[in-house]
Amino acid sequence: MNLFVFIQENLSMTLFLTWEHIWLVGMSLIIAMCTGVPIGIIITKNKELANKVIGGANVIMTIPSIALFGLMLPILAIVGHGLGKVPAIIALVLYSLLPIIRNTYIAIKNVDPAIVDAGRGMGMTKWQLLREVEIPLAIPVILAGLKTAAVMNIGIAAIAAYIGAGGLGVFIQQGIARSHEAMILTGALAVSLLAIIVDLTMSLLEKLVTPRGLKL
Amino acid sequence: MIEYDSVTKVFGIGKKAVTATDNVTFTIDKGETAVFLGPSGCGKTTMLRMTNRLESITRGSIKVNGQDIMDMNPQKLRLTMGYVIQQIGLFPNKTIAGNIAIVPRMLGWNKEKIRARVDELLNMVKLDPEIYRDRYPVELSGGQQQRIGVARGLAANPDILLMDEPFGAIDPINRDQIQDEFLKLQAKLKKTIAFVSHDIHEAIKMADKIAIFKDGKLVQYDSPESILMRPANKFVSDFVGADRALKVLGLLRIRDAMNLSPKNLVQAGTDAPQVLKMMEDRGMKFAFVLKDNKPVGYVSPKLLKYEQGKVEDLVERFPEELGTREPLRDALSAMLMHDMIDFPVMDDNGDFAGSISYKNIQKSILELYYEDQDG
Ligand SMILES: Nc1ncnc2c1ncn2[C@@H]1O[C@H](COP(=O)(O)OP(=O)(O)O)[C@@H](O)[C@H]1O
Ligand SMILES: [Mg+2]
Repeated sequence: MNLFVFIQENLSMTLFLTWEHIWLVGMSLIIAMCTGVPIGIIITKNKELANKVIGGANVIMTIPSIALFGLMLPILAIVGHGLGKVPAIIALVLYSLLPIIRNTYIAIKNVDPAIVDAGRGMGMTKWQLLREVEIPLAIPVILAGLKTAAVMNIGIAAIAAYIGAGGLGVFIQQGIARSHEAMILTGALAVSLLAIIVDLTMSLLEKLVTPRGLKL
Repeated sequence: MIEYDSVTKVFGIGKKAVTATDNVTFTIDKGETAVFLGPSGCGKTTMLRMTNRLESITRGSIKVNGQDIMDMNPQKLRLTMGYVIQQIGLFPNKTIAGNIAIVPRMLGWNKEKIRARVDELLNMVKLDPEIYRDRYPVELSGGQQQRIGVARGLAANPDILLMDEPFGAIDPINRDQIQDEFLKLQAKLKKTIAFVSHDIHEAIKMADKIAIFKDGKLVQYDSPESILMRPANKFVSDFVGADRALKVLGLLRIRDAMNLSPKNLVQAGTDAPQVLKMMEDRGMKFAFVLKDNKPVGYVSPKLLKYEQGKVEDLVERFPEELGTREPLRDALSAMLMHDMIDFPVMDDNGDFAGSISYKNIQKSILELYYEDQDG
């Protein structure tokens, strides 16, 4: 079959693009996590702010990715990054924020108020409460948000090839341009496989980080 | 000691303002349990939550052991008071030991001391440390979880305990048991306790003093006996119920009402004819028979007629034994059940201590009642 022939002949290229793809998604996920989780926690203290932030993130999610790349192009062009990895990562971060912020917010909000009241009544500070109960209880839900973001971003990153970000989308884009079926298929299969593996791994991780007291 | 001085709490502002507690003044003495009692929404929980500054105070002041709580750091204040709530609020991600250890850990106790304290507390609340220490809250029944809630509140041995309907979510049988255990514990620990309840029975059982609230106002603050027999107004008498005399019977002990030197006693070795004659002369309907100062039964003229032996061989046994510590209610119940109006009472060693009759019971009730008419 010429798919295998193609992969065999372009193995190093395939591996490189896969790695590039993972790097794009991983990088944007780390940035989104480092901003989204704290934002999700902070907005639990203010309902109005929460509505605005989550509403805003929702709006970003509704913008088609290809349009978002187009919108960012003139803005980032000013600083010389209209194309390439920078706009791709910015877009991926923006898309990841909604599931991460929303899940963090909901998970912390869903902690039984009686637990929070008991903790405060025993003299715990807000920070102690977060560290000792709220975050441990929220971690599985936050991780589910990260998983959603990761799987979604693997797909969006494939489109980022059109703005020169690299990754497995390159195979798909060039394959279409050259009507090279095996090339398209390699890119498409690799992206799908990546998404499935990430989904399975993170589901497993979710189970592992669930506090024992919640699993019984 | 907790002193509430003109404590007012207003939630919200303008038209929507709700006065949850209205100019409330009273003092909970050291080592006493005050039960905050009243219908739902009367301000009990608010009163309690102001005590550890979970709610702010709108006007007035609260002093704990002489110190105004507004001068204290709220977290530090709370570390010195146990807090137990109906919903318990155990941390599901922590083991039982981890839950109990929360306050000691915040206070910086070392591991050894915490471990020893956790086991001590588990024993105190009648849960085997070996079995329960490393379990998680979900693995425990509601009653067991609430025991852990109490243990957690007591963990750092605070002088003061704030309890908001702590046994409210437990089924009646378990509730009764956990109340009894808590009373025994409190008899030893002598904590100063503010205890919220909406249940008059629980209040009577647990309280040294009951604070009855209505619409945020303190209507009466008094001992359970006084609340029952001398209610301040119709609201209180309605709240305690028409059966308040019966409730008092649950509160008073037999020793408070019994006759310490009854006349109708005979010794076991006395001959029957002699006893019969005495009883007929004095018009006694029955007499208690004592052997080595222990009541063995009773005799009546009918039982002794035509008999020659010693009375101890002729006695009828008592259908029930009553002790000095038992509530008067039990004595009355025995009288109703067995159609007898007089029972001997035994002390803790089983020795004869006195007798309790229907008249004794009525007299003690009326005494409480008439204090009302005098004062
Ligand atoms: N956080 C709050 N905000 C507004 N009103 C409150 C709040 N907490 C309590 N209240 C009101 O204060 C009154 C007393 O409530 P609470 O102390 O909880 O009563 P109880 O414990 O006796 O049932 C009620 O009318 C209640 O609606
Ligand atoms: Mg309440």
